[in-house]
Amino acid sequence: MKIKSLLIANRGEIAVRIHETAKRMNIKTIGIKTAKEPNALYLRLVDDVVDFSDSQDEIPEFLDIERIIEAAHQSKADAIHPGYGFLAENPYFARRCEEEKILFVGPSALAIFKMGNKTIAKQIAQRYNVPLLQGSQRTIKDSKEAEDIAEKIGYPVILKAAAGGGGRGMRIVEKASNMEKMFRMAANESEKAFNDSSLFIEKYVRNPRHIEFQIMGDRHGNYIHLGERECSIQRKHQKLIEESPSVALDEKLRIEMGEAAVRIAKAVYYHSVGTVEFLLDADKNFFFMEMNTRIQVEHPVTEAVSGIDLVEWQLRIAEGQQLTLKQEDIKLAGWAIECRINAEDVQAGFSPNLGIIEKVSFPKGKNIRVDTGITDYSVITPYFDSMVAKVIIHAENREKAISAANSALKKIWIRGIKTTVPFCLAVLNNKKFKDGDFNTSFIEKEMEKLYYNEEEDEMLAAYVAAFDFAAELETDRSAKPDFERGKNISPWVLNKRLKSL
Amino acid sequence: MKLLKPKKKNDPEYIAVSPAGKKYVIRNPFSEELRINGHKQDVKIFEDKEGFTFIEFKNKKYLAEITDKSQNKYTVLLNGLSYSFTIESPISYKRRKYLEKHKQTNKLEIISAPMPGKIAELLVEENTQVKEGEAILILEAMKMQNEIITQVSGKIQKIHVKAGDSVSKDEVLMEIER
Amino acid sequence: MDVKGRLYTRFLERTKAYAAQQSDAIIEKQHSKGKMTARERVDMLFDPGTFEEIDAFSMPGPAGGDFGKKVTAFGDGVITGYGRISGRLAFAYSQDFTVMGGSLGSVHASKIAKIQDMALKMGAPIIGLIDSGGARIQEGVASLAGYASIFNRNVTSSGVIPQISVIMGPAAGGAVYSPSITDFVFMTNKTSHMFVTGPNVVKEVLNEDVSFDDLGGAMVHMKKSGVAHFVYEDEENTIRGVQKLLSYLPSNNLENPPFFEYCDTDLRVDDRFREIIPDDPNKPYDIKEIINLIIDRNTFFEVATFFAQNLVIGFGRLRGKTIGIIANQPKVLAGTLDINSSVKGARFIRFCDSFNIPILTLEDVPGFLPGVDQEHNGIIRHGAKLLYAYADATVPKITVILRKSYGGAYCVMNSKNLGGDFNLAWPTAEIAVMGPEGAVSILYRKELLESDDPAKLKKELTARYRDEIANPYVADDKGYIDEVIDPAVTRKKLISAFEALENKHVSVPSRKHGNIPL
Repeated sequence: MKIKSLLIANRGEIAVRIHETAKRMNIKTIGIKTAKEPNALYLRLVDDVVDFSDSQDEIPEFLDIERIIEAAHQSKADAIHPGYGFLAENPYFARRCEEEKILFVGPSALAIFKMGNKTIAKQIAQRYNVPLLQGSQRTIKDSKEAEDIAEKIGYPVILKAAAGGGGRGMRIVEKASNMEKMFRMAANESEKAFNDSSLFIEKYVRNPRHIEFQIMGDRHGNYIHLGERECSIQRKHQKLIEESPSVALDEKLRIEMGEAAVRIAKAVYYHSVGTVEFLLDADKNFFFMEMNTRIQVEHPVTEAVSGIDLVEWQLRIAEGQQLTLKQEDIKLAGWAIECRINAEDVQAGFSPNLGIIEKVSFPKGKNIRVDTGITDYSVITPYFDSMVAKVIIHAENREKAISAANSALKKIWIRGIKTTVPFCLAVLNNKKFKDGDFNTSFIEKEMEKLYYNEEEDEMLAAYVAAFDFAAELETDRSAKPDFERGKNISPWVLNKRLKSL
Repeated sequence: MKLLKPKKKNDPEYIAVSPAGKKYVIRNPFSEELRINGHKQDVKIFEDKEGFTFIEFKNKKYLAEITDKSQNKYTVLLNGLSYSFTIESPISYKRRKYLEKHKQTNKLEIISAPMPGKIAELLVEENTQVKEGEAILILEAMKMQNEIITQVSGKIQKIHVKAGDSVSKDEVLMEIER
Repeated sequence: MDVKGRLYTRFLERTKAYAAQQSDAIIEKQHSKGKMTARERVDMLFDPGTFEEIDAFSMPGPAGGDFGKKVTAFGDGVITGYGRISGRLAFAYSQDFTVMGGSLGSVHASKIAKIQDMALKMGAPIIGLIDSGGARIQEGVASLAGYASIFNRNVTSSGVIPQISVIMGPAAGGAVYSPSITDFVFMTNKTSHMFVTGPNVVKEVLNEDVSFDDLGGAMVHMKKSGVAHFVYEDEENTIRGVQKLLSYLPSNNLENPPFFEYCDTDLRVDDRFREIIPDDPNKPYDIKEIINLIIDRNTFFEVATFFAQNLVIGFGRLRGKTIGIIANQPKVLAGTLDINSSVKGARFIRFCDSFNIPILTLEDVPGFLPGVDQEHNGIIRHGAKLLYAYADATVPKITVILRKSYGGAYCVMNSKNLGGDFNLAWPTAEIAVMGPEGAVSILYRKELLESDDPAKLKKELTARYRDEIANPYVADDKGYIDEVIDPAVTRKKLISAFEALENKHVSVPSRKHGNIPL
């Protein structure tokens, strides 16, 4: 079935990104307007808008399944693209779309469900011979059981909340004598955070790299991968700079990991684009972590090196088309780096920086791609995540890509908010990063200063301040108030003013 | 014979002092004769037609923004980073040095919310002793958990908020007695 | 005249002796405390070379006996005179702490009184630079009488000429009352203090330990007591602040405020007005962003920044003309009116009205602050001051309702029937007796109790309430609002409205004075 109109159930840069491909494919796009961002950029671009701004519900707009379904019917959309985040990995939403005969641009509800459940996903990986970190298959009862398992797989191990993520309810245990205490702490913390104290135990990999593979599959049994992405530059589990390919992989390992990723996709009859995430330890052993059943934020680096539009294929596969690309057709060329520009104040512990963007200007160039959801006078609200743009550089090799990224970032002007640009520059100028010698602990361990500035920047800023101060003094001193005019009062007023005294 | 250039008495001098105590002595801010810390510098400041301030230095153009200004306290955003200064005259600089030496430190440190958000978790209670750099509460904004960190060591004297409260920017959260 | 003759030599000797009184050592001593001398301060305050001193050679008055140390000095510890500030005549006195601690004796006081009389006769602003240990103990009652004569003149001049007090050192005991009668009090942080009874007395009487700064420092008066209107970090900036304030004010109550020719004449239409106010009526924003968009660029001069921050007051210019701005601050206490903000606003309105400064009110007020503390401390009495001041003011008065305008607070904040000349509203305005939640639970109490899904019903009723009652259009239809305007054109609308009101005059019945609920 050909998609004629597409409801984009997302906002920001990804809504803009999806719209652009859809437009090229002659698909009418429909955006969702919220009261939180009534003048957002994506709303100006889409062909049609459904208005959710009267929403009084407790459920945030982009998570309101029934309302989105209703909006799709109302706007006569025959497909919904969920973007990333929000409903993109909600199997119930995918099923509701199936029930309502609306195409869900993504994999089947079942595939989403299976990959979303840690236990099932691990069982599948094991069955299909994808290496896994050793550990408990299910939740553990007590610290005694944890000690037994740890004895088998060897220390260090990590205790993880079964229900959670984001680092809460996690404890690394280095030796048996600490187990009881750590178990208690992790259980307490996850009880508090997620109302569920159950824990997993797993072998702990010190300073791993985070490597993920982009895969694609269709409804006709064709599966390929598009190489890897290196996503080890992370802060508190938030990726900040990604690249493709990774310096850590040679061709042999790439083939091995790529095939493993494709095996996972096949196992769940995955028909869309997706990402399989691995940990890679210092000895180049890789372990399956999880699969993301959606388009990723960092997909553009893969697009840059492969020359393939992933959103286009996502839509074509959703329409039921055959994946005409064969694995041997996939040629990855050059090196791509993506820097995420977030509205965060690097000098204040990456705290969100809200406000109105008074002026924004991004660099332009042949090998520079900027995906953004903001423009002049956009408002950064507290309601959504803080990413405002992604700058993607594609060059012949890594060294050239880093240097091009450096100069591109320096050409970004944003007035009104602070962003992570100085942070990205600090990474790009770091010796170890340049040498490709880094892992997920890079930011913690290798970066003394979290932002980059030229030596004379402070002096220039001091001059700007002194200049303004001096100019104001000068204005106050020279701009003589016109006191005479204050005495020149119309007789109408003056007579009455005098009489009323 | 050595020629001594007489120092003009009214030649104004502006001293920008950073929080770390770094000093930039600026003379002739409006002329080609601009000197910063005694060195001649070729920096131009200009405004474009939309009213945005730019500086030009070594053939590079920067967007500069004064993000905060109260009396002689300035915060300037340049290349995405904030720099703070107070602008002093020679007399006020002297006064500042004097007062720094005879500082009577304020006993109460007020911790206020750096941004609007929701109190996700209080990490301390009243009368807890805290150390500089310790996280005292978690403020949730933009779906992010932000740790609020104390810049001073001392005892938590009073807590004005509880978990779940929505707070606006600059709202007082806690008082710490040094 | 024979310049070698006795008369002229004596003149020269006297001048020399006066100059010698300020030895380098004395100047250095003052500097080493981070303070400038009385002379340096007046020189800085006035345009270079324009200050003329009078009564420089007055000698101290007689002491009551031989009690205490006897000192004698020219000028009796105060410099008085006149000069030009930005080209305009002004009078000033500057107390000299290096002469008998700047203490106020009878001659010192009569010098000040003389300059006060002159300022009033000339209709020119007067500035007091205060740095004094207080009444001169040796002179006893004569010194107290001196204070009283100064207070008397302060009151006579009130509302006729602008009076400004600048505290640059101690001001203790009786010395604090002159500043508190004057229109504005400036303080220099860390080196100035004001209190009726000092830390020593507090210690003696109450056995409480308190430092000078904690008892009566600049920040205490700026944030807690509301005594100080402006605080600066050093004396130069304090004096610049005085000069800046004067640039907004006329010389006296017959003149109009000064005009700035090189001002911001742009009638810009600005979309940012629409972005600042959040759609959620319970979300705060910073009213100062709106003020800065309305008035000429960089002309907002806020008064009492840190006191009762729920109400923002200050001066600004609209196309070069001074206006007084009173605005609720939704960022603090949701912008409610309480005791302190009512008093702060009321006094500011009285000042503007005295000196022909038009008043702009920006309104976003959910009501008066509820609470036992407020009621018991007399919010009724204090709120009435704000109301009285608004109604009593005859200068042009314009209100723009930005968002909330509920109940009694609607009436108080310069509503149409209180005497507003133009009352405008943004489409986001909510004007009603109370907020939707309150109204719904009163009017539909029974229905809500009986409903199966009270939350849903409440939501529906709230939406209906906003639709039918709490909006600007009902008030517009009835003439309580003159016009509902597009926020983007606020500046333009206000410029033309104030221009239309330029020649406004109201005749008031003759009376000695009204009885404001003090």
